[in-house]
Amino acid sequence: MTMENKKNKGFIEDAEYGLDSRYKSNKEYKSEATSLMEARLNRMKNLSKNQIIRAKLMQLKLKMEEYIKQPIYDDRNHFSDFLKLYVDTIYSKRNRFAYDINIKPIRLSQVINNHREPKDEFIMKLMIHSEKVYENICDFHKKTWYQVYFHEKICDTMSSQEKWRPELEKDIKFSELIE
Amino acid sequence: MTIIETSSRVEHQIEITPIEDVDYKVLTKSRYFFDWKVEQAYEVYKLQIVGSSEILGLISLERIPDEWRVHIRLLTASMENKGKDKKYDKIAGNLIAFSSKIAVSEYAEYACVSLRPKSQIAEHYIDKYNMISTGMTLSIEVPEILNLINLYDHGK
Repeated sequence: MTMENKKNKGFIEDAEYGLDSRYKSNKEYKSEATSLMEARLNRMKNLSKNQIIRAKLMQLKLKMEEYIKQPIYDDRNHFSDFLKLYVDTIYSKRNRFAYDINIKPIRLSQVINNHREPKDEFIMKLMIHSEKVYENICDFHKKTWYQVYFHEKICDTMSSQEKWRPELEKDIKFSELIE
Repeated sequence: MTIIETSSRVEHQIEITPIEDVDYKVLTKSRYFFDWKVEQAYEVYKLQIVGSSEILGLISLERIPDEWRVHIRLLTASMENKGKDKKYDKIAGNLIAFSSKIAVSEYAEYACVSLRPKSQIAEHYIDKYNMISTGMTLSIEVPEILNLINLYDHGK
């Protein structure tokens, strides 16, 4: 091994220790960002429909995992939003998904548009469908849809206590209090 | 996500979480190569074995939404995890895969993670992580970025 090779080998062994990748100036950043974007746009033209779908489904999985990790109190309908993304990423027509999981299109539409709660059977079918779809894309835990659904329920219930608590508290009695 | 103890080949579950103010006290330049305090304006994450408080690796990132890109600013394993005598393997790989997850979660098919190493070590990132070179910048994009995530993000 020559001195030059030894020197390079040393560098490679330490390549993951102390990597400084910061731009030294705004001019440097702008110049490199422009070249990179041009090259990327050219590469993106060659992405197949299948590769795009895979990226979108990976994104959906990551978003669902992020969501169930922390309490989020907002007005969004997360389960139905995720479901909409899932169906619209894979199918050109939502009716095709309804057909594939053997439910009426109107039922799917009602769940997606928050006019009806999904039944257990619906979520179970969704779970089975997702397992197969994600099989060759990435790890997708079968619990995920259920976790999203119940996480949203818990967050909604906890954040709306002022609405339901006063009335329900009147109904609660303590005939055998523990001291 | 896991790292491997090089002496025993035992896998350890890891977690990558945002750095906390209290962590800066232990982030010495001698062990973590950089003055990490100067990165406080950016997203800085630490890698630890689940259940351990020891920081084994660090990364600082900048999200650039206009370019659908996450740029790695600084990356390092801790001192005892450098070179051929390193205690644990896969520290940097997990940190790059973590950055890739952020990029895909934000930008889906447009996702890109970039870095700009010195030319002497660029080959390492090209070979090991399948990165593409554009001038001084290396990047990983769809579809390779999905493969990298899958390589590291399993066995939770």
